[in-house]
Amino acid sequence: MPPAGHRPLDPSLPPSTEVDNDDRAPYTPGSSSSLSSSSLYKHLRTPSTSSLNIRHPVDLRAITYDGAVDENLVCPICRCPLVDPVLTECDHIFCRACITDALSNTKLCPIDRSPLDSDGVSRAPKMVHNQLDSLKAKCPCCASSFARSMLENHVEKYCPEANVKCPGIYSEKYCKEVVKRRMSGRGCLHYPVECPDCKETLLLVEMEEHREASCNEKLKACEHCGVNILRCKESEHHEECPDVIRPCNWAEYGCQHEAKRTDLHLHADECSFKLVGPMADTLKKEIKLLRSDMRSLAETNHLQERRIKFLESAQRASDRPMELMDLSLANLPESANTEPLDSGHEYLLSLLESQQSRLSQLSNELTDFQGKNTMMLLNETIPIKNELSELRSTQQVTCMHVRWLMRFRMQENQRRFGGSPGPGPSGSPDGGGSSSDLPFSRRLSDSAPRDIITKL
Amino acid sequence: MFATKRLGKELSKIHGSLPPGITLVTAEGFQEWLLDIRVLDENPIYLNQTYRLKFKFSQSYPIEPPEVTFVNTTDRPIPIHPHIYSNGIICLDLLGTQGWSPVQNVESICMSLQSMLTGNTKNERPEGDAHFVASNRRRPRDIDFYYHDNTV
Repeated sequence: MPPAGHRPLDPSLPPSTEVDNDDRAPYTPGSSSSLSSSSLYKHLRTPSTSSLNIRHPVDLRAITYDGAVDENLVCPICRCPLVDPVLTECDHIFCRACITDALSNTKLCPIDRSPLDSDGVSRAPKMVHNQLDSLKAKCPCCASSFARSMLENHVEKYCPEANVKCPGIYSEKYCKEVVKRRMSGRGCLHYPVECPDCKETLLLVEMEEHREASCNEKLKACEHCGVNILRCKESEHHEECPDVIRPCNWAEYGCQHEAKRTDLHLHADECSFKLVGPMADTLKKEIKLLRSDMRSLAETNHLQERRIKFLESAQRASDRPMELMDLSLANLPESANTEPLDSGHEYLLSLLESQQSRLSQLSNELTDFQGKNTMMLLNETIPIKNELSELRSTQQVTCMHVRWLMRFRMQENQRRFGGSPGPGPSGSPDGGGSSSDLPFSRRLSDSAPRDIITKL
Repeated sequence: MFATKRLGKELSKIHGSLPPGITLVTAEGFQEWLLDIRVLDENPIYLNQTYRLKFKFSQSYPIEPPEVTFVNTTDRPIPIHPHIYSNGIICLDLLGTQGWSPVQNVESICMSLQSMLTGNTKNERPEGDAHFVASNRRRPRDIDFYYHDNTV
C-alpha cells in the first residue's frame, strides 16, 4: 500500500502526466508571485503550440548517422556525409562550403589537381541529393532516428527534447526563456520553488533534472527493500518493489491474506479462493457484457418508440384533407389499413412508404414553387434593371450638362476679371455670350472640362 | 570549428585502425598530435628505429596543411634523409601550401613519410643543413623550399 504522503511530491516528476494547480501548490512559495503564475496558468494553454516553435538550424556535420555511411557519399574534405553536394568539372563531388573554401586557397581540384574555378562547380545530380536526404541520422536532441532531410522539421516542430519559447511569452509576464517542448504544455515554469528534498531554491523548470541528478538528497533507501532509490521515483518504485506488502489477488472476494510481492505466488496455490476467484472474475465479465448489451438494447428500444410516435403523428396529419396533395397517393395508407395487419412491422413499413411518397411529392411541389418564384423575380427585376440603366444614362447626360455649364461660367469669369484663375462665386451668366461660345465649348466637352474639374 | 570536426572524424578513425608501422602517441585537443612511425622494410638506414612526428593544426585545417616535423627525444632520433633537416623540419611538397590538398589527412601524411624514408638510399642530411638549422627562425610552412629533387 503506497503511503499517502507521496502524492503532493509528484508534480515535477512524470513529464507527461497532467498536472493541476493543486499539485503545484507545495512548490510555490506562497507569495503574490505564486498567485499570478497560477492564474496565468489557465490562459496559457490557449496559444497554439506551433507559435512557440523556434527555428533550429541543424548542423548536418555534427549529427550522428545510423551505421556506416557509404564512403561515396562522404566529402573528401570534411569527411562528413556531403552537405549541399556539388559536382566539379573533373567529376568529383564535394560539399559546396568545402570546395568553396578550398578554391579560395588554391584554384586546383583537391583530388586530381586539375585547374578548377568556382565557375567549374555545379549542383550535384538529384540522385546524390536524394541518397543523402534519405540517410538516417539521430536527432541531436532526442536521439531518435529520422531521414536527414526530415531532421530540421522534426526538431523545429515535434522533438520533445528540443527547446521552444516559454509559453509565458504570451502572458503579462512576457517570459523570454526557452523550455523543452515536453515541458511547454505546463505554462511558464521559470519561477523559483524550493526542492522538497534538499530545500534548495531553484527554477521549477530545472527541478526535474535537479531531483534526478544533482540534488544532494536525491537518494533514499526504500523502506521496504532497502535499495537506494531516487526520491522523485519513489511511487514508481513502490509499484514494482519486491518487498512491498500486497494483498492477495482475490482480496476483493474476501481473502484476508497479505504478503510481500515476491512471496505472493506462494500463497496463490493454497489460497482458499483460488477456485472461486477465477469463477467470480468470469462471472463479473459476463455481467458487465450483459449490462452493456442491455443498455444498447434499451437505447434501440427508445429509438424505435420515438420513431413509432413520430410516424403515428405523421399518419394522423396525412389523414386530414390537403388541397395540394394527390388524392390517390393520400389514399395509400388507407388501403394499407384495410389489409389485415398482424405484424407491426408491415404496418410501419406501409406508413413509411406513404410518408416517403408524400415527401417526394412535397419536394416536387417545392421545386415547382421555386421555379415559379424565380420566374416572378426575374419578371420583376428586368424592368427594374432597365429603369436603372436608363437612370444611369440620364445621370451621365446631366453630368455633361453640369460640366459644360461649369466651363461656361469659368470662361465668363475669366473674361470678366481679365484672366484671373478660379471661378467667382457671384458670376452671373450672360445669355448672349453663352450662345456664341456654345459650339466652341461643345467641341471641348470631352477633354477640357475634365481639367477644369480637377483644378476645382 | 571546421578543423575540430574534421579532426574529430580522423581521430575516431585512427582509434579504429591504423596502417602497420604507424601508432598514435597523444592527441589531446585538436591543436597538436604526436604519432610514431616505423619503416617496415629492411632499409639499413632506418632499421629498428622509430621516429616521432609532431602535427600542428591551424584553424583552417584541412584547407591549409598541418605543420609536420620530426621531434627528437631520447629514444626517437631525427631520421637521416637528404630532405630532412637535423632540427626535424621536413622538405616535402605535400606539406607545403603548393602541394597540399584538403583531401590529405594525418594518416596519408604518415604513409607518405613512411614511403619517403623507405625509398631513400642516401645516408645524408640536406645540403647546408648546419647553416639552415643555425639560422632558421621561420615556421616550416613559411619556408620556400625549392622542390628540385624528384628522385627521393
